[in-house]
Amino acid sequence: MSAVATKTLLEVKGLEVEYGRVRAVDGINLSIAAGEILGLAGESGCGKSTVANAIMQILRPPARIVGGSILFEGEDLVGKSTEQLRKYRWRNVSMVFQSAMNALNPVMRVGDQFVDMMQAHEHVSKRRAIVRAGELLELVGMDKGRVRAYPHELSGGMRQRVIIAMALALSPELIILDEPTTALDVVVQREILQQVEALKRDFDFAVVFITHDLSLLLEFADRIAIMYAGEIVESAPAAQLAESPLHPYTQGLLRSFPPLTGPRVRLTGIPGAPPDLREPPSGCRFHPRCPYCLPENAALYLRQTSERPRLRMIEPEHNVACHLVDA
Amino acid sequence: MAQLDPTALDLQLAVPKRGIRVGRIRVPGWLALLLRNRKSRAGLFIVAFMVFIAIISPLISVAHPNDFNLLATRQAPSWHHLFGTTDQGSDVFSQVVVGARRSLLLGALAGALATLVAAVLGITAAYVGGIVDEIVNLLTNVFLTIPAIPLLVVVSGYLRTRGMWTMIAVIALVLWAFEARILRAQALTLKNRDFILAAKASGEPTWRIVFGELMPNMISRIAAAFVLVFYISLLVDSGLEFLGLGDMSATSWGVTIYWAQVNSTVLQGEWWPFMFPSLALGLTVLGLVLVLAGIDEVSNPQLRADRKRGRLAALLLGRAAA
Amino acid sequence: MRWFARRLAFYVFAIWVALTINFLLPRLMPGDPISGLLQHLSPAQLAANPGIVQTYEALLGGGHHSIWADYVTYLHRISHFNFGISTSNYPTPVSEVVGRTLPYSIFLVGVAFILAFLIGTGIGMVAAWRRGGFTDSVVVPAFMTVSAFPAFVLALLGLYFLGLKAGWFPIQHAYDSSVIPGWNWTFVSSAFRHAQLPIIAIIAAYTGGWVLNMRTVMINTIGEDYVGMAHAKGLKDRRVMTRYAGRNAILPPLNGFAAQFAGAVGGLVFIEIVFSYPGIGYTLQSAVLGNDYPLAQAILVVLSVCVIIANLIMDVLNFVLDPRLRTS
Repeated sequence: MSAVATKTLLEVKGLEVEYGRVRAVDGINLSIAAGEILGLAGESGCGKSTVANAIMQILRPPARIVGGSILFEGEDLVGKSTEQLRKYRWRNVSMVFQSAMNALNPVMRVGDQFVDMMQAHEHVSKRRAIVRAGELLELVGMDKGRVRAYPHELSGGMRQRVIIAMALALSPELIILDEPTTALDVVVQREILQQVEALKRDFDFAVVFITHDLSLLLEFADRIAIMYAGEIVESAPAAQLAESPLHPYTQGLLRSFPPLTGPRVRLTGIPGAPPDLREPPSGCRFHPRCPYCLPENAALYLRQTSERPRLRMIEPEHNVACHLVDA
Repeated sequence: MAQLDPTALDLQLAVPKRGIRVGRIRVPGWLALLLRNRKSRAGLFIVAFMVFIAIISPLISVAHPNDFNLLATRQAPSWHHLFGTTDQGSDVFSQVVVGARRSLLLGALAGALATLVAAVLGITAAYVGGIVDEIVNLLTNVFLTIPAIPLLVVVSGYLRTRGMWTMIAVIALVLWAFEARILRAQALTLKNRDFILAAKASGEPTWRIVFGELMPNMISRIAAAFVLVFYISLLVDSGLEFLGLGDMSATSWGVTIYWAQVNSTVLQGEWWPFMFPSLALGLTVLGLVLVLAGIDEVSNPQLRADRKRGRLAALLLGRAAA
Repeated sequence: MRWFARRLAFYVFAIWVALTINFLLPRLMPGDPISGLLQHLSPAQLAANPGIVQTYEALLGGGHHSIWADYVTYLHRISHFNFGISTSNYPTPVSEVVGRTLPYSIFLVGVAFILAFLIGTGIGMVAAWRRGGFTDSVVVPAFMTVSAFPAFVLALLGLYFLGLKAGWFPIQHAYDSSVIPGWNWTFVSSAFRHAQLPIIAIIAAYTGGWVLNMRTVMINTIGEDYVGMAHAKGLKDRRVMTRYAGRNAILPPLNGFAAQFAGAVGGLVFIEIVFSYPGIGYTLQSAVLGNDYPLAQAILVVLSVCVIIANLIMDVLNFVLDPRLRTS
């Protein structure tokens, strides 16, 4: 889908985030190349939104980064000053929030919310800013007169478009989409995503696409990373992941939705529930739910329950953290 | 004078059902919860302290509060008269300590009566709905619009006798509206729950549903309502006494302050007859306000200073942190 | 717009209830209402005010007809703003007494209560924004403590410490006794100076409530997505606090403003008395203590109307500030 990625835009190394004493993100490694679409998938509560907030540097107490680094174009964000971070936000990395319903200030006109943001980063007059806001709205397929509207006067889909337009406003190099379509119906979902793709062709930004819906990622993403209980368990180019998923969790996820074409497959979910992060399981965090973790295989079982698997490159571009694969 | 007013809250979810064991003593769930929260713990201690003082007051008051001694008038605090004496030589300490009894009792009783009226009217209106609801709503709003103090002042003016029970009735009759609205709102949320619908379907009469099903499930909110109306009653009652419109023959904080004001003692620089009863009053109200704030924090985790628990719950319930 | 009509209808109804209570109160006391009222008066008062029996009869709408006829006469009189003659200021009509004293009170409560609201919500906003900071851990508890004391206590404290001991402010009355009321600078500045302590007392008494209320609402608002997004957009911290969080958080307290106003009117009565400030609250107490029922009842109605007007102003303000209410 994309040309060979040359420049690494964002690199996350060993990121650790805690809420109080609970470790929500426990040693994550990610890298995103310029212009690439990286999908981040996992169940609710696995920490994917936390990663997004960490990249945007908008974590609020009691959440805090306790370890690792986030390198944007080579510079570590952890440790930058408040003012530097303020300038970085939105200009270099912007975000499309999950519920556009609530992401817009209810008492401000839409256009003013654009103006706000532009004036925080550049010297523009209000008039020019409003004009640009109108242009941005047209880009996402809305009438530019809508700059004068209040958020409650727009439909859900329209609000989502506004949020996308806002994310583009400063032409950032990376846009994070945090569950951008979860609150919308299927038809609108598709429209929005196609819109994003079209915009990407024109503006050429990288995307981190966060969702629990793996099927969407298989269609839209270049590479996919699967998160479980605060860790990355598998990452690979989309096509490879679909063809040869190696981690049992990934396999379970792929079996959870039916393919549109091809023979009918029996649907199986993944038994059990995500672990309580206050006391994660020992060893491999997935082992209580893993169909391949059986006491009969004594030696393997011992490793699965006592040693945390590390993310290893099994094939080119395909990393997995799993004892089975190591064996 | 509703100077401090908490938001609506729902304590039900937070109370541990069966209480907690401390050594051999079983502490009821709600008490344990309130003791754990810093604010309500402080508040409870203050209120308990005042109640304790009121109870043992005959033992610690040096003289009868109304004893006057013309030789020892207007004396500043000393070892002999801990809080000084009034312009008639009465011991202020005794007045404050004995006055606590009446002030607290009247406030509590008026508060209880007002809460009862508010609960019955509010909950019944919510459950029955229709015209009854409209009427109660109207009544509530009217009593919230007509200012309470002026109304009480005028009504007191017309009263021939101003004994304790009369004052309780009058105050309760004006203050019930404060909480009626909130209790009605909460009853509305419970109205369509399964257990109420089941009771209705099995033919239980309205009064039994209101008293036997709805009220017991709103105990925490009703208790919070009581605390609020309690301290407002305290303020209102002492306020009326200060104006000379309460039961002026009784010994209470407001009456002591009244005499201090009327005799211009303050303007003459004698601060003790008004300062000490005021402190007692303010402290009690502060205690009650703290208890209320604590209840608020317990039922709304976001408000707590220790936000770890609130965030954790959000995290584990899978809500995406935006 | 329909909503406005409903509110107006309610307000009219509330006034009617106030008037009716006024009408019924003297009649609810057992016995003949007039003799009941006269019982409160001493022989000296009776001698000094020869017309008093007639005044009371007029107040009660005649006294010798059926209760419904009396009621109609009463309402008719009120609609012409004829509240009768003030027995304690005989022969001045009640409306004149009220007209003389009401402006002072409006000035006091208007300035003070609005200031209390602005200061209180401002502090609450900042306290919530910087949890655990100085404002949150020191200023908020301080205000909470101060507001726990009844208004008259705070007034007395202010009188004693700031007025008497420190001598910073004049301690009584609305203006210097040597000054003649009129629209000239001497009078106006004197009036302002004398209003300072009462205003400070009111602010001390009522700010705490706003602080607590705003803080609570603000904390909930800060958790909203649009605040997070504003932060993510790279807006300056202060701007997010005021235009995004604060601007939304202020709406519920604003709604509560009108409700609190009734309470403020109550507090006003005490404060005026402590400072011998000749406003309508002070007049109410002296009226009741002097058994001047025509005056007392009229003041009750007037105060109710004031509360209603405050409510109306708040309704309009709410409409202006919250665009969500404007969609038809």
